[in-house]
Order: sequence, then structure tokens, then C-alpha cells
Amino acid sequence: MHILLIEPDALQARAYAAALEQAGHTVARAAGAQSAVHAADEQAPDAAVLELQLSGHNGVEFLYEFRSYPEWLHVPVILHTFVPPDELAFAATLKSELGVRRILYKSATKLADLCAAVLELAPAKGVR
Amino acid sequence: MQRVGDGGSLNAQEQLFLSVAEQLSRPLLALSRLGELAAGDPALAAEQWPVVHTLAESSLQLVESYALGLRVQGKVMPLALEPVTVSSLLYDTAEQLKPLARQYGVELEIDTGPRTLPVLADRAVLQAAFESLGQVFVAAQAEAETPGSVRLMAHRSRYGVVAGLYGDTARLGADSLRRAHLVRGRARQPFQQFVSGPAAGVFVADNLLRTLEAHLHVARYHHLNGLAATLRPSHQLQLI
Repeated sequence: MHILLIEPDALQARAYAAALEQAGHTVARAAGAQSAVHAADEQAPDAAVLELQLSGHNGVEFLYEFRSYPEWLHVPVILHTFVPPDELAFAATLKSELGVRRILYKSATKLADLCAAVLELAPAKGVR
Repeated sequence: MQRVGDGGSLNAQEQLFLSVAEQLSRPLLALSRLGELAAGDPALAAEQWPVVHTLAESSLQLVESYALGLRVQGKVMPLALEPVTVSSLLYDTAEQLKPLARQYGVELEIDTGPRTLPVLADRAVLQAAFESLGQVFVAAQAEAETPGSVRLMAHRSRYGVVAGLYGDTARLGADSLRRAHLVRGRARQPFQQFVSGPAAGVFVADNLLRTLEAHLHVARYHHLNGLAATLRPSHQLQLI
């Protein structure tokens, strides 16, 4: 799969991208919402891994923008975030309205868990 | 991004502690994940060693600065006021920040202008404040859509010596620091337009500067925006 990794911290992004590549995926990296839209436009990702806390426009704003384009309406998104689950009051909205498939709390998610969550998206890719 | 439940029962010191704890979880997470990645791959482990070292050093710096602020505020440690040459202090600060900036691909520049007056300060406190602030600026520049450099600058003003960190960014508006203070501990990103994280270094720096009877303010110098403090000149050495 081709993964769009939206992660503001370059050092963390390096680790996540390397793990996903070791798992056989290709990865396009973006540090913010604007560059993520550009990357999606150029590279047609099969799935996205997104941190909610971005500088400038945040992850939720990015998702609304992302879902406003028909070609990205069904691209599965995994939230991989520093926001603890008990502070995500809008988790249901993220899943029902913005097509977030999984919400992973970064501090509790090993690289192997992230790769497994991405792998779970693969069968769903053809069922659009 | 507001916290659920507002977090309104925290006092200022608890809010600062929460910010520092959440800030520290970032490099610690990066260290943990890099460790996972490097396990069983000696070549990769060796390649990542400078990153690990830099992240550990910058985390240590933030903790030490936070603790220094507490010690000085609580009068456990007295201030050692002395004439401090700002240009030399900013050079030392840049040296300390250089490894972190290198890892994030951010350039550091120093501009202290001609004949900047010495200021009356505790050198260790002042340097800890600028290093903490510098970490936030490096992260912010690394996250920018068009990354620029971080400039450590000092210049004279009618009120004293204005020293701080600046970047080619419009994301530090006139009231952004005031708003950040209001929502610190209650919002996960008090400086959301500037940096994605808790920006704890800004508040640690401000606490340290307040022990020197200064404080951070949003500053503008030519086309650059930044956070700076106005420091009292040392009259003792003005003739040098």
C-alpha cells in the first residue's frame, strides 16, 4: 500500500516511515495539513496515518478538507495521536463522519501495532 | 485543541508541570520507537545513535531548566546576578542548540548587533531560558510548510537590551503569547499556529525570565517575528 504519513515531528516520522517501509509499504511524508493535501494530490495514497496535533491547521481541519474531494472520500485513515482516548470527545464523529478507521494512542502503540493496523486496511481497499 | 473537561482545576505550577510532562513524552516516544526499530539491526542502531544522544540531551535540558526555575522561585537557590554579555550568551545557547537543529534540518543564525550592552542577570538562568525557548523554535521551524532558520538576536532599545529568538514566520501574532498563557494546561496546543506540541519550553523560559524581573513578549524586528525579553543593562560595565 502507499501510505500518506502526516506527522509533524521529523524524528518520529522517520521511525514510523521506516517501520512501514520494512513492512512492505511505500510512504509519503507530510509535516502539516497543507503539505499533506499536496502530497495526496500528487501521490494518490491508499491510506493515511494522521496525527491530530499539527501546527497551523489541525488534523480535524485536514480531515474535513481531505473528505471534501471525491477521490479521497473513501481513503482509510488511521489516527495515530498524542491525544489520549479519554480526551477525544469527538471520536464518534471522527469515525462516523470523517471515515477514521482506527484511533491509536501513540504512547501505547508499538511500531508493530501501527503496522498491523495499516495491514488491516488492505482488504477494505477493494470494497469501496 | 481543547481538552475534555477544561482542566480548570490546575494551578499555574501544575499547568506548567503538565506541559513539561507532555513535552517530554515526545522525545521519549521517539527514543522508544527508534529503539524498537534498531533492535536486531546493529547498523541501524549505530546510525540512530546521534539522534538518541541529541534527544536525550534536549530532554535533560528541559527538565534541568524546569527544576532550575522551581529552585530559584522557591529561593532554594539564590540568583547569582552579574554583568552578562548577551552576545556571548547567545553564542553559547546556539552551540547547545546546534545538535538538535542539525537533527531537524534547521539553521541557526546569530545577530547581536554592534555594542550590545551587558545585562544584569544570572547567566545560568538566562541561558537555560533561551535554550528552552530555542527548542520550541527549532521544532516550530522544522514543522513549518516552508522551513526557515531560527535567529538568536539582541538589540538595544530605550528600555534595555531586547534578546530573544526569531523566525521568518507570521504565525506569532501580537496576542498569541497572551492567549497561550490563558490556555496553557487547558489546551493541548497553546501555540497551535506556531508549533504542534505543548510548547513547554516557552513557559519554562518565561518562568525563568520572571525570576530576573523580565518576561517574554512577542517581538518584531524588521520582517522577523519572535519571542524576546527586555533585560536590564548592567551599569557597572557600560564604559567598556
